[in-house]
Amino acid sequence: MTTETTTTPAAAPAAGTPLLEARDVVMRFGGLTAVGGVDLTVNTGEIIGLIGPNGAGKTTFFNCLTGLYVPTEGQVRYQGQLLPPTPHKVTQAGMARTFQNIRLFHNMTVLENVLVGRHTRTKEGIVSAILRGPGYRREEAESRAKALELLEFVGLADKRDMLARNLPYGEQRKLEIARAMASEPGLLLLDEPTAGMNPQETRATEELVFAIRDRGMAVLVIEHDMRFIFNLCDRVAVLVQGKKLVEGDAQTVQSDERVIAAYLGTPMDGAEAGTESTTSTEENQ
Amino acid sequence: MTDTKTLTTEQPDQAALKPAVRMPAAVAHGLAIGGGALTAASAFLAWTYSSSFPGDLTISGYPGGLQWLTLTAGLLTALMGVIAAVPGLRVLAPGNPGNATLLFAVGGVAVTWFTLIAIAVQLHGLVNLTSGGWVAGVASLIALVGTLGLPRAPGSTVCAPTRAEWLQTLYAGAGLLAVGYLLHLTGNGAAGLVMAGAGVVPIARLCIVLKHYTGPTPTLRAAKRLPVAVDVVLMILMLALALEIFAYGVDTPYGQLFVGFLAVLCFSLWALSQSGLLRRATEIFERNRAWAAVLGFLTAAAFVFVQQSDADAALGVNVLIFAATALGLNVVVGLAGLLDLGYVAFLGVGAYAAALVSGAVTSSVHATFPFWAAALTGAAVSGIFGVLLGAPTLRVRGDYLAIVTLGFGEIFRIVVSNLDGVSGPNVTGGPNGIVNIPDLSILGFNLGNPHTILGATIGRFANYFWLMLIIMAIIMLVFSRAADSRIGRAWVAIREDETAATAMGINGFRFKLLAFALGAALAGLAGTVMAHVNFSVVPDPFVFAGPVPPNSAFLLAAVVIGGMGTVSGPIVGATLFYLLQQKLTFLQSNELLIFGVALILFMRLRPEGIIASRRRQLEFHEAEDAPAAQLSTAGA
Amino acid sequence: MHELPQNLANGLFLGAMYGLIAVGYTMVYGIIQLINFAHGEIFMTGAFGALAVYSKLGANVSIWLALPLMIVGGVATATLVAVLAERFAYRPLRNAPRLAPLITAIGLSIFLQQLVWGFPGNKSARVFPQLPGGPFHLGSVVFQSADIFVVVAAVLSTLFLAYFVRSTRTGRAMQATAQDPDTAKLMGIDTDKVIVIAFAIGAVFAAIAGISSGLRYGQIEYNMGFLNGLFAFTAAVLGGIGNIYGAMLGGLVLGLAQTLSAAYIQYIPGMSQFGSQDWSGVWAFVILILVLMFRPQGLLGERVADRA
Repeated sequence: MTTETTTTPAAAPAAGTPLLEARDVVMRFGGLTAVGGVDLTVNTGEIIGLIGPNGAGKTTFFNCLTGLYVPTEGQVRYQGQLLPPTPHKVTQAGMARTFQNIRLFHNMTVLENVLVGRHTRTKEGIVSAILRGPGYRREEAESRAKALELLEFVGLADKRDMLARNLPYGEQRKLEIARAMASEPGLLLLDEPTAGMNPQETRATEELVFAIRDRGMAVLVIEHDMRFIFNLCDRVAVLVQGKKLVEGDAQTVQSDERVIAAYLGTPMDGAEAGTESTTSTEENQ
Repeated sequence: MTDTKTLTTEQPDQAALKPAVRMPAAVAHGLAIGGGALTAASAFLAWTYSSSFPGDLTISGYPGGLQWLTLTAGLLTALMGVIAAVPGLRVLAPGNPGNATLLFAVGGVAVTWFTLIAIAVQLHGLVNLTSGGWVAGVASLIALVGTLGLPRAPGSTVCAPTRAEWLQTLYAGAGLLAVGYLLHLTGNGAAGLVMAGAGVVPIARLCIVLKHYTGPTPTLRAAKRLPVAVDVVLMILMLALALEIFAYGVDTPYGQLFVGFLAVLCFSLWALSQSGLLRRATEIFERNRAWAAVLGFLTAAAFVFVQQSDADAALGVNVLIFAATALGLNVVVGLAGLLDLGYVAFLGVGAYAAALVSGAVTSSVHATFPFWAAALTGAAVSGIFGVLLGAPTLRVRGDYLAIVTLGFGEIFRIVVSNLDGVSGPNVTGGPNGIVNIPDLSILGFNLGNPHTILGATIGRFANYFWLMLIIMAIIMLVFSRAADSRIGRAWVAIREDETAATAMGINGFRFKLLAFALGAALAGLAGTVMAHVNFSVVPDPFVFAGPVPPNSAFLLAAVVIGGMGTVSGPIVGATLFYLLQQKLTFLQSNELLIFGVALILFMRLRPEGIIASRRRQLEFHEAEDAPAAQLSTAGA
Repeated sequence: MHELPQNLANGLFLGAMYGLIAVGYTMVYGIIQLINFAHGEIFMTGAFGALAVYSKLGANVSIWLALPLMIVGGVATATLVAVLAERFAYRPLRNAPRLAPLITAIGLSIFLQQLVWGFPGNKSARVFPQLPGGPFHLGSVVFQSADIFVVVAAVLSTLFLAYFVRSTRTGRAMQATAQDPDTAKLMGIDTDKVIVIAFAIGAVFAAIAGISSGLRYGQIEYNMGFLNGLFAFTAAVLGGIGNIYGAMLGGLVLGLAQTLSAAYIQYIPGMSQFGSQDWSGVWAFVILILVLMFRPQGLLGERVADRA
């Protein structure tokens, strides 16, 4: 767990207890069933991968988990509690996410972006912001310290006063992760964190995700990059056409006939599957 | 500026470019200093035979009216010229003293030739100019030529506009002339103005050329830290100077003088920023924030001592009310990014609320609240209206909000005009409004009575000026602290990307509503004072657009042109707007026309406003340096 | 309640005019997501252009001869103003932050009003020629020639627009640009041209509405575009912004709502003082706020989902 004194909602339960439980999640848009009854459990201290071809419903499933969409059927529980269907309450509860197409606050500085991430873990209101009592000062100082520590962690500390939009692409991804981590989530959801990255950057992101896990956060990651996912994840779930095809450790998934057939295609296509991620843009609906 | 891309730019690390006029450096320095001195001296000559030009420029031996401005510009040119010429004086102007000299000289040319042309035009013919006028004109040009021969700063660029740009300028100017002529034929009152616009086009082009010639504002090494006492003395001196300049601008009795004043002021500020002095001054204010705030407040309070009449104090209090409301709007527009086009209605709600509980005979509520209670009532009622309006509309798309608020502004005006007992219940007195509002009495002291402090008579409006100044200080404090806090960051995050903001745990609706309520409450607070200052509250001022501030369009413009999201921006914008509208009476009734054009041009040329917040500055001009235009706010 | 048919008819005439103006808002918004705040002023310049033509023709010319020329003059003026505004005010800001074009539009609106105000003559109201004939009776409903003019103009304009958007190359290019401007550009569509055409069509319709307004009320003013523009925008939102049929429908609904509220609100117990003409504008905005609360996509609009 992290070292700071601020309250953490996910007061790290013993490793291996269920953190996120999604039961039979269904999402329909009109006649189209984007997600058709998916179960997923994430335990504390785990890194779980979610893979699947384009349009398999991964991001839609993600949006159902984080309250951006209200699932047509099914339940999502976090630490045993039903998750409210609004994004800000989900974050409050202890799940934070990044976006597939980076959504930083472009005209705020790097540090301010992370400070915004602190929003749910701070509570001073407008009156105390104006009066600036000792409580407010303490909280603001704590937030800053925590934010700077996170920037140090992802390696952006020296760029704290730059505008987010002026960061290079890879660092924008890192900043988005730092911003999400600032809300001290028990579970971090990463939506294609290596999209558009070169191999070195991908490897660095791999290290970063391990380091995040070592800080006591469970991670659920959507990816296209096979090598990245199989190196990283304790368990991998494969989503095809809105249904979970198989779930298990890297070995199991890699050797599963159905996955090879449905996702990787013939071995020749499979060789290309890893490079596909750079240009892919998944449909949201 | 937008034209940067079409100009051929040089690598910044390349050696400095050659000056525009080739001459030995010694000659250039000599011409600059001599020309400046001669310009200053020529202000003591008579420029015209006729005393019918305002300011009486017929007296030899003593400057009058616009000649004072020429004198100032000439002296500044000569002074900066000396600093540029003597290497040992570099410490007095750590930036580019050469550029600063040039810009002062340009200011001198601008004001001198403006005066000469104004005399010739107004008195019909060049014959009205005496030899003294010609001496002044030539002297200012000598200074200009000399300063154009000074070595150039690194980072300046090739300044000649391309052929296409000259053609563009030509077409724009000619087009405006043609349109102006057509309007003239139809007898339209705006004809002269449009033709004058044709003259402004090449001037704007020349300013862009000048901008490239001088290059960006120089960056300086960190200065030695002075003892706090020295800093304080320096701040007092600078603020006193700023106050004196501001009071001079307010006092200018005729439009020509005000135009000349603005010209000299703008070029001088530019020159000071080039010389690096503005940067140094900003540093002093920044490292002593508490002192700066206190001294700034005291300086503003001292305004009533340096002004000539209670009418100026009335102007001051109106500027403050306008600026305070603009600052409230800045919470909504600048921070939360919600476009409110009916904002003046909240000022009206506050004013009507205060008028109703003021004990005025015409009020339908027969209650007399003390001021603190009335102010709280005004702010609270206004805030409640903000919530009532916001609650149903803040969930919808941002663009719609603009129209709903516009509709609300109109509804407010219609409603208060109709709640007169005839076409509705009697609450507001309808078109006649609530009149004969008594003066405020605070702690037994009646603000309506003049009194004497330090031998100076403090009139009714001066009393209100001080009251409004205190309220202004409170509003500034509320704004700046809210902006730089968890709440302010949430607002900006919502403005930037609402989906991402909610994913970070921000309750978008709640914070937008908070911004709406806070903005409305601040305007309501300003409205309570407005009701008492003006003796009456009538529906007329609370329109979307009208010739007199405050109205919603002017408020928005003050925020946008001043600088969104900053504290000083809306204050500068509001001051500028109010003064321009008061001073430029020779525009007859074309203020609104100019206002419309100004909005369009500002969005095109400097969308971040006069005072850019650090954020917006980076947003719009990432590559350029931040010009430090802070000092100009000190006098306001 | 015997005057109900008359009130319905009046609402219809008013609504047809709103609808004609609303088309301009909805087309421009549909393509570049800009609230063309100055569109009300385009409506106003159309009316003034027509009046200028009429006053040049002199009083001896028959109104039936003058009317087509006035329409041409009004349409030409409005279109010219709209195209110039698009070219010099809006186009340079196409990629600017969202507030910039909106504020430019406000500036333009004020500028146009003041420019027209500056022309010599009566500043508050100028006399507009009337169409002879009438009043006509249809059952208990009485109406004037100008009312027929506005209804016919609205019907013809809608039919033309439906044909144009569905069946012409430019119309389809317009639909494509509204869907996705970048892709449309890649497909070889000259999006700049499409945008200009949208502004021009909006201006043509607004000019016709402006002339209708002059004919119906017998006078025009420099600031006639402000409230009418506001109501027309309300109509566009009401119908579902971006949808041209929605604009017409929204106009009709709003016109009816205004007329009926002015006529009947006073009969609601406790509301007797709020039924006059003065309050009808208030009720129009109350309707707008209600629509935005309960059906923000408008009557014919489709919900736009946010992308994550």
